[in-house]
Order: sequence, then structure tokens, then C-alpha cells
Amino acid sequence: MVLLLTATAAAAQQPTAEAAARADEPGWRFTWDQHPSLLFNDDIRLDFRFRVQSDWRGSEGEIGDSHDDDLARRRVGVEGTIRNVVDFQIEREISNDVDPWRDVFVNYRRYAVAEVRGGKFKIPFGLEQNTSATTLDFVYRSMASQRLAPGRDQGLMVHGRVARKMVRYELGWFAHDGKNARNSNAGEVYGNGTAAARVSVQPFRKNHPLVKDMLLSAAVTGSHVDEGFPALHAHSALDAPFYTSKVWVNGQRQRTGLEFRWRPGPASLKAEYMRVSTQRLGESLDDTDLEPLTASGWYVSGTWALTGEKKVDALTDPRRPLFRGGWGAIEPAARLEGLRFGSLDAGIASTSPRADVVLGNADHAATLGVNWYPMRHVKLQVNVIREHLANPAVGPAPNSPTFWSHVMRFQIDL
Amino acid sequence: MSRLLAAPLLVALALAAAPPPALAQTTSADLFDDGTLQELRLTMSSRDLQTLRAEFTANTYYPADLQWRDVKLRNIGLRSRGSGSRSGTKLGIQLDFNRYSASQQFLGMKSLVLDNLLQDPAMIRERVSMAFYERMGLVAPRESFCRLYINDVYQGVYGVVEAITSELLARATDDPTAYVYEYHYRGPFYGEYLGDELQPYKTLFEARSHQKEADSVLYGPIRDLFREVNAPDDSVWRERVEALLDLEQFVKYVAVETYLSEIDGILSSAGMSNFYLYRPTGSTRHRLVPWDKDRTFSEYDSSVVAGADANVIFRRALAYPDLKTLYLDTLAACARSAATQFWMEREIVRDSQLIAPAAAEDTLKPYSDDDVTSAVGYLRTFPRRRPLLVLQEVARIRAEG
Repeated sequence: MVLLLTATAAAAQQPTAEAAARADEPGWRFTWDQHPSLLFNDDIRLDFRFRVQSDWRGSEGEIGDSHDDDLARRRVGVEGTIRNVVDFQIEREISNDVDPWRDVFVNYRRYAVAEVRGGKFKIPFGLEQNTSATTLDFVYRSMASQRLAPGRDQGLMVHGRVARKMVRYELGWFAHDGKNARNSNAGEVYGNGTAAARVSVQPFRKNHPLVKDMLLSAAVTGSHVDEGFPALHAHSALDAPFYTSKVWVNGQRQRTGLEFRWRPGPASLKAEYMRVSTQRLGESLDDTDLEPLTASGWYVSGTWALTGEKKVDALTDPRRPLFRGGWGAIEPAARLEGLRFGSLDAGIASTSPRADVVLGNADHAATLGVNWYPMRHVKLQVNVIREHLANPAVGPAPNSPTFWSHVMRFQIDL
Repeated sequence: MSRLLAAPLLVALALAAAPPPALAQTTSADLFDDGTLQELRLTMSSRDLQTLRAEFTANTYYPADLQWRDVKLRNIGLRSRGSGSRSGTKLGIQLDFNRYSASQQFLGMKSLVLDNLLQDPAMIRERVSMAFYERMGLVAPRESFCRLYINDVYQGVYGVVEAITSELLARATDDPTAYVYEYHYRGPFYGEYLGDELQPYKTLFEARSHQKEADSVLYGPIRDLFREVNAPDDSVWRERVEALLDLEQFVKYVAVETYLSEIDGILSSAGMSNFYLYRPTGSTRHRLVPWDKDRTFSEYDSSVVAGADANVIFRRALAYPDLKTLYLDTLAACARSAATQFWMEREIVRDSQLIAPAAAEDTLKPYSDDDVTSAVGYLRTFPRRRPLLVLQEVARIRAEG
């Protein structure tokens, strides 16, 4: 039924001669191309967004969130442009009363070499974290992207493209170090004012089409963390905690990240490595400094659109949609990843909050999945995940280091 | 020539390869050597110490390092302990060696208690009492004394008390897997039946082993014990209670406690207090282990039947002639054993002399040096007068039938 409704909506988007004629008239007009939009001459454009998704999940281990088949997210938003100089975006989660506002920002882009963005938006760290949920290759972002990349916060950022658009830079200052570094426990600490910088290079942008999309990025963030137990915890692929960081920290927190993305034709290859290091100044048993608490994560993933769509164009608009002579876009995907918390010192590890060598934990996961885009705006994803914990006793399956999970997501994005 | 050179070289190599004697031979027996005043050093974060002193009523754990002789343990768990003896000034301390490292032990022990000796001006009642229980053939924790330093600051004289754990029971009873319970005083309780629900028993008896097992397994036998104890007086009472409580051990335990004139024990007027229960695996039969004996030696002329009627278990047990005889025999044995070669008086004198210099330097104790001298002076009269008085009362009770 939903598919039929969505197919009808897609059909309604076909431009008509009448609509084309109205486009030349001054004043407000409504269009529905990628999204339902309101336009005022060529000066103002408002795109209305609505997304709804449901997840069905199962696991041999504990699952972090509440329900197996909840209507996980309903999101509405509007994004627009004023005189091609100012962009803005407002997005709100309907089913979230605690932290409903997502992106709420204004971007001034008079000069491509130095745009300015202010408001609440994602800190420029992490390729996958800065990828919209509608275009993710897997149901969930990698554990590292979910936990170590900071996510959204309030801030101000200067960004732009230089060197014939081969280099993109982002420099920002944020109130804290992102939503992902916090949790519902008010007693736990996270970064204060945070500086962030990212440089992305497309070295072959002017070269052969096969390699021109290749992207390499490096990012850092820096902030001060007050004395306390960090709110940065380790969670499994399905959000069950496997390390809760009951370790005193105090001092500078530094994130470093490396990103790689390449999307030749119907395929894609992505990889990231990121590390978060938080100082423990004066936190030893004799009040001296301890080695920083560190968390690191990585992933390597690949996809292949069997139905031939180009990955750079995303697969949200399949070449041969369902009910229109085809089966939509079908894309298998695979990912290997790891997430580790602990400290760098060698020696006898302990769970003491003032341990020289922190007894952390590590999770390694392999995910196989299939993405199906039957038609524009509709996406179905199925993932099967195998995880292996270094110390299963504190994880979602205490009696088994290895456990399997599965998740299916149905998503409509208008 | 070469042989002449080789022989000393081999000896030197052998000596070099041998482990350091102090380290290799150190055992828990050395720590509990009652003739030695030990020295224990704890290192902990100054902020944690400040918090611990401010919030001493909480059972929050803090990490610390422990040094005893050449043995150093990193990141052990430390918390405030005690009920009436809890203090933020002279801390009562429990050390859990495996709190943060599952396999870490100290001389084969998982935990240790550092008793701040706050309720006994003589500071030696507890150790002498526990030694006497052991002398009378009952399981009791080993104890010694130490000078305690935290972050190199002297904290005073402490009792080093073996925690009642599976390790103690393994040493004393060859049963390392027994169920162990600490009795918590929640108000007057004389052994009454508290009903069929397990919660009241769970409140009184905290499981110290097998904690992950079901409540029915942990507390079912304890509930059954108090149900049977309070069952109607009939021909099967003893048999049914015997299945749940080692009555002979119970009677002997109470006899020793009574000899020591304990006012805060099983027959206390305020209800039972200061003991652990243990139950061997595969059995429903409980036994008692003494704990926190700093209120002993209260009156050298206290009656051996004081409080006997109030406690349900003891009153009903003593209705059986053989158990009554056992009680009186044990009291008489206590009197003879304490007096033999002045054992108890020698223990009191030795302990008080052992800790005297350290006690004088203990500025955190809540009593004066004169109080200490006076309390020790009283204690020395106890072993001189108690045996005869007890033997006379026992003889009188026997004569009365």
C-alpha cells in the first residue's frame, strides 16, 4: 500500500506543460521535483522534507534500544535558499521529545572559497557521520562513526573550496564536542568548547572519470574535558554497551580522523580510521598524570549496484523503478569494522578508575547487506552482522564472544 | 686451578638465581603473626581520600595501592566500613583486592579488613577474643595489628582482620565453596520466624558468596531454619532443626561468647548481632563464625545464663539435657583453657605491649592515653577473676539440675 502511494506521489512529480507555464509567472509557486517545494520567483526556494522509517531487529545478544519493531524515526524539515547566497535548514524529529532539533543552521555562501555556517549542525569530522541517513550504505553507521565521531553541536564554521575545487576545508568552533560524546547521564563529562578542522582533497578531480571522485580527508578536533567519568562509551552494532568508561579523565580531548572514499561507476569503496584521546591529568593514585584514555575505530566497506546505477548519483533514483518496467536499484554491501577502548600503556590491565593500564574492550564486526531502492523515495535495507568481543562478560552476550544480529529498515524519504 | 675458580662461581650463580627469601616465604600467616606489629601503607588519590572522609557513611569503592613489606598491590578496591565504628576521621576500611582485577589476590586472600578499633579503648579485645574462639576449636578470622599509613600520613593502630570469605573457610574447614552470609543488625531479632517470604531473611543475612544464585537457593534454607526453630515442641523438633543448624556448634559458640562476656552477640539483650553464617555446599546445615568482637570482656562476673531465655534457638536448644551439658562443659573448658599457663592474661599483656608505642602516637583515636591504660588495666583483671566465677556458676547450675 505504501509502495503504491509512493508510486502515485512519484507520478505526480512529472512536470506538466501547465506547471512549466506557471514557472514564468512572478510570485509563489509550488513544484515537486526531488521534494515538494515552494518557490518565490528565483529568489527563494523552500524544500519540504519528510522522512519515516521503521527498523526490525534481532540479535543473539542484548539490543541497546527499546523495541524490536518500533517506528524508529519520523522527521520533518525544511531547507531552502535565498537569492543563491543564503542556505538554511531546519529539521526536527517528531518522535523525540528529549532532543528533537537536528540540523538548524544558516549558511552564507557568497564566496565559494569562504562560506560561513552558523547554528546547529554536524561537526566536520567523519565521512560516514556526515553522510545523510538516507544515503547510508548500511542500516547503521559503523560503531566508530556512531561513537567516536562527534555528530551535531552548536557552532560557527568557515568552509570552502580552493585550489580549483580540489581542496575543501572546514574550520569551526563549537559549544561542545558533539551529541555522540554525551549521554543521558548528567554526571558524566564531555568536551567543552571545541575547535574542529577538516581538509579534504580530491587529487584526481581533473583526471579520468574513474578516479576523479576519489577523496582523501584528514580531520582533527580539540576540546577540554572537565574532571569526571567520560560520557563516551562503547556500544555494539545494535547499541548495547560493552564498555562504560568508568575512568577519571581530566584535560584535553583530541580526535584525529582519516577518511577515504572512491566511487567508480556502480561501485564504492570507503574507509575511515578515527581515534579519540582524553588526557588524565593528575588522576593517578599519587595525583600524577596517567596515560590518556584512548578509543579508536575503523571500517572498510564496499558496495556494488547490480542494476548499474552510478554510485556518485546515489541510488535513490533508480534507472528502472518497480512498477515501471524494472525492479529498482539493488546493491549488495559489505563492511568490516572495529572499535576499541583502553589505554596505550603495557602492563597489567585493571578496571580501576585510576588504572595505569585501563582494561578496556574491543568489538570487531563484519556486516553483509543488501540495499533495495524499488523507486524514488523508498529504500529497504537488510543487514546481517557478526560481532566478536574481546571481553564478552561486559557485552551484550556475556557467555559468547561471538554473536549474530540482523536488522531490516524500511525508509520513505520525501 | 680452574676447579678452584669454578666452585665459588657456581655457588654465586646459585645464590643469584634463588628467589629473594622474604618474598618467596611470605604467606598470610606472616601477616597475621600476632607477635608482630605490621606496617601497611596505602596510596590513594588525595581527592578520593577527601571524598572518602566526607562521605564515609557510603560504601563507595575507591582505588588504592597497598604496600606490605616487599609486596605491592596496584589498584585494589577500598571502602569505608563498620556500623557503630564508622568514622571519617579514623576510617574503618575494607580492602577488596580483586575489585578491579578479577585475578588479583593478596597472600591468597581476596579481601581484608582494617579495623579502626574505635569502640575499644584497650584496642585488643577483638584480637584476643578471636584467638580464644580458635583456641576453643571454632572457626574464627585471624587477626593482627598494624600501623597504617595513607599517603605516608600515619593513621594510627589498626586491627588487621581476615575477611570471612570462601578463602577463610577453605583454610579452616576445607570447604572453599560454602555459602557465606553476613548477619546485619536491623533491630531486635531473637530468632523468631519472620514468615514465608524470603525478603526479611535477605535483609538480615547478606550473601557473601554465590551471590548470583537464586534467592530460593540462597535464602530458602535460612527461612526454613527459623521456621523449624519456631515449630511446635515435639519429638521431631531437634531432628528437623539439626538438619538446618549444627546445634552442637551453636551451643559451643554461645558458650565461648558467654565466657568472654560479650554484650553484643547472640544472647545480647538487644537481639542477635556480630556473626556470620556459613553452609557447606550440598548441605542445609548452618554454622556460625564470630565477627566484630570489640564488646567482649564487658563484666568478669556476668552470669553464664544472661540472655539465655530471650533467644529462641538457644532457649529451645538448652531444653535438651545433652546440649545443656555441652554448654556447661564448654564454659568450664573455656575457664580452664583461659587460665592454663595464664594464656588469656599473657595474650592481653603481650598485645597491649606490642601496640603501646603505636597507640601512643595514634592521634586519631577517640580516647586518651589514660583511657587506654585504664582499659588495659581492667582487661588484665578479667582472666584472673573470670575462670573461678564461671566454674562456680557452672557447678551451681549442675547441682540444681
